[in-house]
Amino acid sequence: MYKYDAIDQTLVDQRVAQFRDQVARRMNGTLAEEEFRPLRLQNGLYHQRHAYMLRVAIPYGLLSAKQLRTLALIAEKYDRGYGHFTTRQNIQFNWIELEQTPDILAELAKVEMHAIQTSGNCIRNITSDAFAGVAGDEYIDPRPVCELLRQWSTLHPEFAHLPRKFKFAINGAKEDRTVLLCHDVGIELKKNTKGELVADIYAGGGMGRTPILGQLIKQDLSWQLLPSYLTALLRVYNRFGRRDNLYKARIKILVKALGPEEFARQVEGEWAHIKNGDDNFTQAEWDRVAKHFTKPAYKQLSSLSQQQIIAGAPESERSAFTRWLERNVKPHQVPGYASVILSLKPHGTVAPGDAMVAQMNAIADLSDQYSFGELRVTHEQNLVLADVEQSKLLALWQAAKQQHVALPNIGLLTDIIACPGGDFCSLANAKSLPIAKAIQERFDNLDYLFDLGDISLNISGCINSCGHHHVGNIGVLGVDKDGEEWYQITLGGEQGNHAAIGKVIGPSFYADEIPDVITKVINTYVEHRTDDESFIDSYRRIGVAPFKEAAYKNAKKKDRAEDKTESAASSS
Amino acid sequence: MNKQIIRFPKDGQASLAVNEWQVWDGEGDEGALLQSPNQEHGFNKVLVPFHWWCSHYNADHKNTDIMERVKQGEIGVWFAADDDILKHAEIIEAGKALWPVVAAHFPIFRDGRSFSTAALLRQRFYWDNEVRAIGDVLIDQLLQGARVGFDAFELRPDQDLAIGLQQFDLFSVTTQNSWRGKRTLLEA
Repeated sequence: MYKYDAIDQTLVDQRVAQFRDQVARRMNGTLAEEEFRPLRLQNGLYHQRHAYMLRVAIPYGLLSAKQLRTLALIAEKYDRGYGHFTTRQNIQFNWIELEQTPDILAELAKVEMHAIQTSGNCIRNITSDAFAGVAGDEYIDPRPVCELLRQWSTLHPEFAHLPRKFKFAINGAKEDRTVLLCHDVGIELKKNTKGELVADIYAGGGMGRTPILGQLIKQDLSWQLLPSYLTALLRVYNRFGRRDNLYKARIKILVKALGPEEFARQVEGEWAHIKNGDDNFTQAEWDRVAKHFTKPAYKQLSSLSQQQIIAGAPESERSAFTRWLERNVKPHQVPGYASVILSLKPHGTVAPGDAMVAQMNAIADLSDQYSFGELRVTHEQNLVLADVEQSKLLALWQAAKQQHVALPNIGLLTDIIACPGGDFCSLANAKSLPIAKAIQERFDNLDYLFDLGDISLNISGCINSCGHHHVGNIGVLGVDKDGEEWYQITLGGEQGNHAAIGKVIGPSFYADEIPDVITKVINTYVEHRTDDESFIDSYRRIGVAPFKEAAYKNAKKKDRAEDKTESAASSS
Repeated sequence: MNKQIIRFPKDGQASLAVNEWQVWDGEGDEGALLQSPNQEHGFNKVLVPFHWWCSHYNADHKNTDIMERVKQGEIGVWFAADDDILKHAEIIEAGKALWPVVAAHFPIFRDGRSFSTAALLRQRFYWDNEVRAIGDVLIDQLLQGARVGFDAFELRPDQDLAIGLQQFDLFSVTTQNSWRGKRTLLEA
């Protein structure tokens, strides 16, 4: 895992001092709220429904045990005893006092963390594959490029006030686990025929009000040239992205308006002037960063079969342990090791992605004990212990159960992605968390969930789409109609290599109808599926009609009015 | 209009200086800007809108009064946030010999287009003279402006210049190149 050098540490320390002064000026009234707002947002501080919310970056999802303990300490000392892991590899604290934020940032700086650019109209925290460096299907470890670009984008002066937020995702594996095509810029790393590291650049993807998948605008770009190419790309966006309409300000609108070919041509035109400049990365910089991402001290082990792993479990626990192995344990590059996903999606007891102080501390201990003291945060809002010896899976499972993070529901219907919604977020039109809870309670039967297999259900409390509803097989979107909370259902969304934007099935439903509607959708799938056919495959085969018909059959409060335009501003 | 500006030369120290340049918005009576300098307020030089320059100073239309002022070094131009300076490269190249100062305008402090304008002036046009930030220029954007290529700032009049002067020393390291210098590297 990357360790700060003197430059990184100086920068975050000085950033804390800068923000401390800005907060002091806000508190003494010499800095107006309107002018403070972009400053605090660029340090992850939102003003929410009840209090300030602080979003802390977990760059490309990597977290050490020590850092997690600091997050727990912040939750305990400055918040209400929990944190919320988000869909973009950040953690949010919901009950923050403005005057305490400089002290919180100082605590974070002590463990090489910060909240820089986790919000605001700038380059946001860069996200990547939670299984980077260990995934069986990886062809390039994306972490050195992630870190180089983290540094390059940090406090970048020219791109500090873009038309709108700007999100990078970086992938280096066969299967995309980053929702790459839903980012302003998606960077797909690969090796060219000469074995050199190159990148394909996708631009103009995004969710929100106008969900669009990114378009390929550049192929086989040498990794060294990323800074100059991205400067050119961002400069075109900074100069020509729309600023007259908040809802049309993302790069996706510019790319769509110009067409991807014309956008790519303009970027090339700009790049031609700077591609040979000294902005580009050097091998020395790569070496400085990449040395931190070497393999940990793996033991020489032989792979264990599932039977061998299960054999250690008491007879009475075998079926439960097997389920966990099937859903929560993923293959690893190194023989004898596996990656384990700790589920932060218990059924109905806490919000998806939430972790309590005691859990955070205990999970930090588990990472020390079982996984070289490191963790990953997934965009599905779960935690990963990436390097666990197969022979220790049973012991880890038993310890994880004690912390209520061993539910074997990864990738199942109740592994719900959800934003904090109207319970916390001032942008939300409707609550997300009670909907997630109601669905988890309705489907609180592991046998049935296992039988249903892979289904993603994503919930957003407003069109900003922090809950990624557009790419859920089942998407739930909160909308406001005449001051009431309604929910629109989309079907057919998917993340990964077959990324797709879900389609709205029709008029919205009341909150209390949602569990029934989801049940009807699921029953339709069960009725129509062929052997082993997943939900999304069934949907693609039979189309939306049978689902739609079932969903609206006997719907008691069906709303025929057209959905009103949702109000929204900035998020995620 | 601010009577003082912050000047921060590329390899120098930030300091306060008297503002000699009046920004003309291009509206109203053209004659006004040609009148004798407004000595009373210390302004004797005028920044005219770039689009006005383009339409009033060319081969077909050379206003002799303006030419005289240009010769005296009393006329510069300012770029609006939506001016595409790359489309007018020839005029800007020619302007190097004419304008002692150019400025880029911030219609609102959080509109970052003029950051790219300044960067292009320095990077593409190798602009050596002063590039001034004008408009809604606030102390918390000074550092960003200084790094992209501005070396003078006419702040919004309500801004505290003393705090403004402190902004340039907040960071002793950087992690990307800028007009002011290369990214910080560790000693080998």
